[in-house]
Amino acid sequence: MSKTWIVTFETYLRQIKSWSFLFMVLGPFLMIALTIGISYISANSSSSSHQVAVISDSAVLRKSYLQQHPSGINTKITTTTKAKKAVKANHLAGYLTLDASGTQLRGDYHGSTAMDSGLKAKVQNFLMQYQQLKNYQTAKLTPKQQQALAQTPVLKQHIAAKTGTSNLVKTLSFWVLITMIYIILITYSTIAAQEIASDKGTKIMEIIFSSTTATSYFIGKITGILLVIVTQIVIYICGGWLGYTIAMQNSGIKKLVLANQTLVKGIFHNLFNLNLLYVLLGVIIYTILAAYSGALVAKAEDASKAAQPVIMLSMAGFFIALPFQNNLDAVLVKILSYVPFFSSYFMPMRIINGTAGLGEQISSLVILLVAIGLFALYIGRQYQRLMLQTDSENIWQHLIHSRRRS
Amino acid sequence: MLSIQHISKEFGPVKALNDVSFDVPNGQIMGLIGQNGAGKSTTFHSILNFIDYGGSIQWQGHTLSASDFDHIGYLPEERSLMTKLTIEQQIIYLARLKGQPAKVIRPQIDDWLERFAVKGTRKSKINDLSKGNQQKVQLICTLIHQPDLLILDEPFSGLDPVNADLLKQAVLAAKDRGAAIIFSSHDMEHVTALCDQLVMLRKGDVVLHGTLDDVRDQFGKTELFVTTDWTAEQLQALAGVGSVTDRHNHRYVLHLTDASAGPAIFDALTQGHYIEEFSQQPPTLDEIFRLKVGEEHV
Repeated sequence: MSKTWIVTFETYLRQIKSWSFLFMVLGPFLMIALTIGISYISANSSSSSHQVAVISDSAVLRKSYLQQHPSGINTKITTTTKAKKAVKANHLAGYLTLDASGTQLRGDYHGSTAMDSGLKAKVQNFLMQYQQLKNYQTAKLTPKQQQALAQTPVLKQHIAAKTGTSNLVKTLSFWVLITMIYIILITYSTIAAQEIASDKGTKIMEIIFSSTTATSYFIGKITGILLVIVTQIVIYICGGWLGYTIAMQNSGIKKLVLANQTLVKGIFHNLFNLNLLYVLLGVIIYTILAAYSGALVAKAEDASKAAQPVIMLSMAGFFIALPFQNNLDAVLVKILSYVPFFSSYFMPMRIINGTAGLGEQISSLVILLVAIGLFALYIGRQYQRLMLQTDSENIWQHLIHSRRRS
Repeated sequence: MLSIQHISKEFGPVKALNDVSFDVPNGQIMGLIGQNGAGKSTTFHSILNFIDYGGSIQWQGHTLSASDFDHIGYLPEERSLMTKLTIEQQIIYLARLKGQPAKVIRPQIDDWLERFAVKGTRKSKINDLSKGNQQKVQLICTLIHQPDLLILDEPFSGLDPVNADLLKQAVLAAKDRGAAIIFSSHDMEHVTALCDQLVMLRKGDVVLHGTLDDVRDQFGKTELFVTTDWTAEQLQALAGVGSVTDRHNHRYVLHLTDASAGPAIFDALTQGHYIEEFSQQPPTLDEIFRLKVGEEHV
């Protein structure tokens, strides 16, 4: 096994076996489980204090309301006296009295706070329908007259189904993709910088550099960190698939997914094509930069600060991309889609929206690949000097001298 | 053989090494001595290509490169290990980087731990070991792959006499294997006990170079160890005696201004009779070291 791979696996295993990796991977699953759990508990334990009672002298009227709107009603309370007591004891949010004794229906709500908009709409709707029925009966209209009066205006939206879904697919793909890139970069920039910075100036580096070349060691470290990223992505894909399989057991969710199959397929198509390559290459170049940044810190204790410049750059890419999601023809977008560090945000945006031809995509990819190669080579060459701190040059002196040397 | 020819290194205005040359043949031990900042670690860093330098360093007739790394064992001046690993993981990781498969190294670990009397098992975390035991684990990491070139920067620092003896045995075993060994030390006793050759650096310059006997003989046999009833004052009055150090119980060291004064002093002290001690020797390495350091301040 080559020494690069030995370093790769050592780095990989050390990261994978750490508690921080475990928490990082399980974190989103725990959050989802917690959210579902809380929602479930909340839904099942909605206390009677959020319910209302419906009281009416007309049993038919009350029954009719309860049939139409059964949720959120305390059906056990049927009298005003009991309802008042329950409200006072905070066991009931309020009570609704329905009066149909005259020609005009009347509904009165008594509660400690105003009716929420949902309940209000339900009650108004119910009263309107019932009043209309009553009006027809009073007016003794013929069925034909009733039908004529029942006519309502029609307002229909005519949206080309394909285009509408397609735009939604683009928007959702854009958000999923750049959020994914951003989160991965922010997380792993810190890990990469800290991994490298913690070795800074330690004598173990002297032992290691008497065993393998700095370039080989550096590439091994970066590959190890990239393997950790791939592991996390694979775990999320497997977890997502498992979650999807479990969710599809629920008929409601299954119906929802089937109804939006075009949307789901569209998003997956946009994620698992050339864009995924951009995500990976973007992660690689940012990881290399983070590692370089880690190697530049003055001492190992500064490891936590090491990732800041990379995080800033990543944030810049993310926040510059946001305003341009609906203006992809802007010159800045076109330029940045070729600039390494930014192309990982901007070219996928253009690919999703179909504003970049294959030639442009390949050109941008080639630039990114060449930049990664040159960058890795340059840092690999400087890595030993940076890590061992064998001279007193500052970063600017070093950059000038290394340019002269090359 | 390690051959160092005319190497120089500057750190800004400071000349760290100035035209340093010496050879370390296979199966020999070279001691590198000098005060702090004399250039010992810089010499090691140059050999290991950690820094750019002027001059030439050759190993077995060619410029030392990455392909030679597997044959080098290096112990840095400050000790440093990966504290979260176990002893076994640490030794295997570093040995694998030296091209040794884990399956070859793993069965040897217990023997090495026993040989260096490490207090801990192969499963003990480095972090849980005492400083001395961590140092011994680091020595094992340096030696376990049986290197042909051993570079030890202050290997005895922090070791008690018992552990220092264990290290000496390991170094001598490597010498017997035919390894070329170079080590630095401030303790002249270790240098005297181990080295075939020595180089003394002072502010980057070689001020002494040769075998131990050659170096000592350069200074002449100016130390005279005697046991006599004479008083220090009487001894001081003898021709050719520069100064006298009283070693108690009628034992003295006469520091001669001229080594050829020895026979005349012998005649004067013995006058044809038995004398318990009369030994004329060159200065000790420790004295030579102090002398050379002192020259700088003259």
